[in-house]
Amino acid sequence: MEPISHEGLGRLLKLEDNLQTPHVVFSHTDLKESKDLESGGTIKVGKVFDLPPSPLGLDSEKAPYLQLSENIAVLDNAYSIQPKKLVEIAAEFRSEAGYSRLLYAPAVEPSQMPILAYLGVDIFDDLNVELRSSTGWILESGEWIKQNTQIDDLFSHNRSELNRWILRIRNAISNGKLRELVEITSLHNPRVSQILHHSALLLIEKGARVHSTIRSNDLSLNHPAILDFQNRLSNYEPPAQNMVLLILPCSARKPYFKSSSHKRFFNTLREVENHLALHVVSVTSPLGLVPRELEFCYPAAHYDIAVTGKWSASEIEMLRSQLIKLNPTKHYAKAIVHAGSSSKIMTELVKELGIDVVDTRVDRPSSYEGLEILQNIARMTLSDIPILNTKDRAKGEAKGLANFQYGENSDFLVNSEISGRMPYKLRCGDLAAMSPVVGGFGLTLKGGIEYSLQGGPIIIAENFKLVGDLFAVGVKSYKGNWNIGDQVVIKQNDIVTAVGIAKMVPEEMISMNRGVAVEVRHHA
Amino acid sequence: MPEAFVPLTDFVNESKSIPRDHPLDKPVAKWVEEEVLDGKIVEAGVVILRTRGCYWSIKEGCSMCGYFNDTVPGGVSDDMLREQWKKVRSTLRGKKYAKIYTSGSFIDPTEVPFNFADEVMSDMSNMGIEKVLIESLPEFVNPKNFAYTNAPKLEIAIGLESSNPVVLDKSVNKRLRWSHYVKVCKLARDNGAEVKAYILLKPPYLSEKEAIEDAVQSAIDTAPYVDKISINPVNVQKNTVVEKLWFRNEWTAPWLWSVIEVLKRCEDLPVRVYSDPTGGGTRRGAHNCHDCNKRLLEALKNHRLGSGDLKGLHCNCKSRWNTLVKQSKLRRNGSEPHGYRSGFAGSRHF
Ligand SMILES: [Zn+2]
Repeated sequence: MEPISHEGLGRLLKLEDNLQTPHVVFSHTDLKESKDLESGGTIKVGKVFDLPPSPLGLDSEKAPYLQLSENIAVLDNAYSIQPKKLVEIAAEFRSEAGYSRLLYAPAVEPSQMPILAYLGVDIFDDLNVELRSSTGWILESGEWIKQNTQIDDLFSHNRSELNRWILRIRNAISNGKLRELVEITSLHNPRVSQILHHSALLLIEKGARVHSTIRSNDLSLNHPAILDFQNRLSNYEPPAQNMVLLILPCSARKPYFKSSSHKRFFNTLREVENHLALHVVSVTSPLGLVPRELEFCYPAAHYDIAVTGKWSASEIEMLRSQLIKLNPTKHYAKAIVHAGSSSKIMTELVKELGIDVVDTRVDRPSSYEGLEILQNIARMTLSDIPILNTKDRAKGEAKGLANFQYGENSDFLVNSEISGRMPYKLRCGDLAAMSPVVGGFGLTLKGGIEYSLQGGPIIIAENFKLVGDLFAVGVKSYKGNWNIGDQVVIKQNDIVTAVGIAKMVPEEMISMNRGVAVEVRHHA
Repeated sequence: MPEAFVPLTDFVNESKSIPRDHPLDKPVAKWVEEEVLDGKIVEAGVVILRTRGCYWSIKEGCSMCGYFNDTVPGGVSDDMLREQWKKVRSTLRGKKYAKIYTSGSFIDPTEVPFNFADEVMSDMSNMGIEKVLIESLPEFVNPKNFAYTNAPKLEIAIGLESSNPVVLDKSVNKRLRWSHYVKVCKLARDNGAEVKAYILLKPPYLSEKEAIEDAVQSAIDTAPYVDKISINPVNVQKNTVVEKLWFRNEWTAPWLWSVIEVLKRCEDLPVRVYSDPTGGGTRRGAHNCHDCNKRLLEALKNHRLGSGDLKGLHCNCKSRWNTLVKQSKLRRNGSEPHGYRSGFAGSRHF
């Protein structure tokens, strides 16, 4: 088997005989029942594999949760396990089953297949589809509908539809849109929406960080990448002390600084003396607040939302908590709010913290009049703020970004020779440079060496001349932990020979014999 | 015991709760029902006495049995048992057949003291009762436990549940060896008692198909050693493993079609095989769809009393049952989607 792509805890595997997961088996041809109570029958996924016996006498709420045969792990009762418990169990899927066993969930409803695939289930069946078919229901995009027209062989009709549904799930994984499919199926399905709700933390902790665009909606407030971004804002510090916080609206174009409105803001403000002491933070849903330095970081540059100009109670609560994470009372001398329809609420929230704040009260922030008002207010506000020079500002920018991206392991970057300016030219000596692909500081080979000394994740590869990407077959062992999408260092013969982006999780690299383990960015 | 037994034992114990307080001088229940005696339909007086309850239930218990809910853990004194007996005599008077249940074993002398049992047997004999049905675990079927001074003809119902040791160990949690069961049946019959076997239909974890096959095979195995066989479809009793699995939708009560299937496949056995499903027609008991529950229960009753057969029964839900049975082993548990028996009519299910 070869992992082709990942999303959440789900995986698209290429199997022998041109099969791919998530895969559906058809009970009449692919499943064989056992002869007695103590064996489990067989399942055909290309080859015929033994199934483990069914869980006689066991309590489904107690570990171990999966029944294992040599090649298959079965998640029994997936259809009915309580949503919260199911997520708890999903956290143990791979520690119980490993990566080389296919995870099969028998007798689940088509509507639950996307969320189960998102949590890591590889194989489904048509058992419930057969029962529905025998009562005259028609499957349509994962949902059951009652229709008056007669269909001759309803079961075979519904099986074809089930095949299309599975194909849609598989395509969703390869296009980074499984989350969207899960959200769609959750809309009118309380069970799916509960499972999704409870899985947020697990997905942050173990889910793949693939940089796919988040086309967001109300459900996206719980998207793991969004929660993760919001949590890590506590690690962030503005470039310098006593700056003026300038809250601007977000833009449809990402990163914001590339949008025409933000270019106008910039051109207006750079005419103001000491404009470097303004710190731009954009207000946006569902992320909350995005400081300029973090505009490249995933998912700040990768989301899309229908702007309504209205903030819901839960969004306001989220904005309040994000503002507190920014710790304005500690870092800023004053604040200006120039955020159009979001100005009123942001001004109130800043005031709550006891900071001196001016609302420009402009409805159209990037209009000619709006820009003029902004320039005047900025000039007045900055008049008594200490001068911030280019060099200190750049240093502070690099520090904020490095802390946000690398957390506790960021010292090697913070202490390096910082040069250049946000956005593209900022560098940490010869250790790291801004990279839109990485979404922040991308490590150079030398940076990789330093990172590995600071406790960054290391993959130890077999001894061969590494050209291009590192494949799973070449992985010997590893140190540290990472998620798919994180930067990792490759060592061969105790020497760092490459840095790149992980395409598999740690144990998966060891278990798999095929597939890209690390997409290499720099070779020795 | 092999280690594989442990999880179910824990599960049984965790599912239980301490029985609530019951008045000690009142029986659990009493009623009158129809029965067959010497080929004729007669009225039978039925009584459930409140006792300490089943010793096995106190120690571990069976996965489907909730009778401990009616017991008194500290035990019931002889005086209180005599008070209870006074209150049930009117139900028994004038009957030829009596069924005296406890929530345990009537011939376990530590549960029902022998002297008390001997008194009530004499009393019933003097009332003109011709036959008494009592229940016991196999381990108490010892002639000295039922050597009464003066008693009606004894019929001892002994729970076999299943003749398959795997079912007993991993589904029922009952420590019973087949050879021992055969031995005590012979012992009871050699000492003048008749033996009635209880066989479960669809104990927890089994699928509908496995359940049917297990009940049929158990009946075939048991027939030579007993006088009649009662097929007991498992129903959902409070604070049991079965109830937990049922709440979690990992198991559903058997279909009435399955009960009928088992009885049909036992037609040629040399003993009477019948079923009187507890809680039949409800979600907690054996049931089909709303359209046919009543009809099928009526047919089962007539079959039990020898006044009707099981031919010519039809309903739309039978083809659904058939589809489920065929795939049920592949589902790997005893469940089916909510609402399936009535064709998912009425509400939206996913
Ligand atoms: Zn019916």
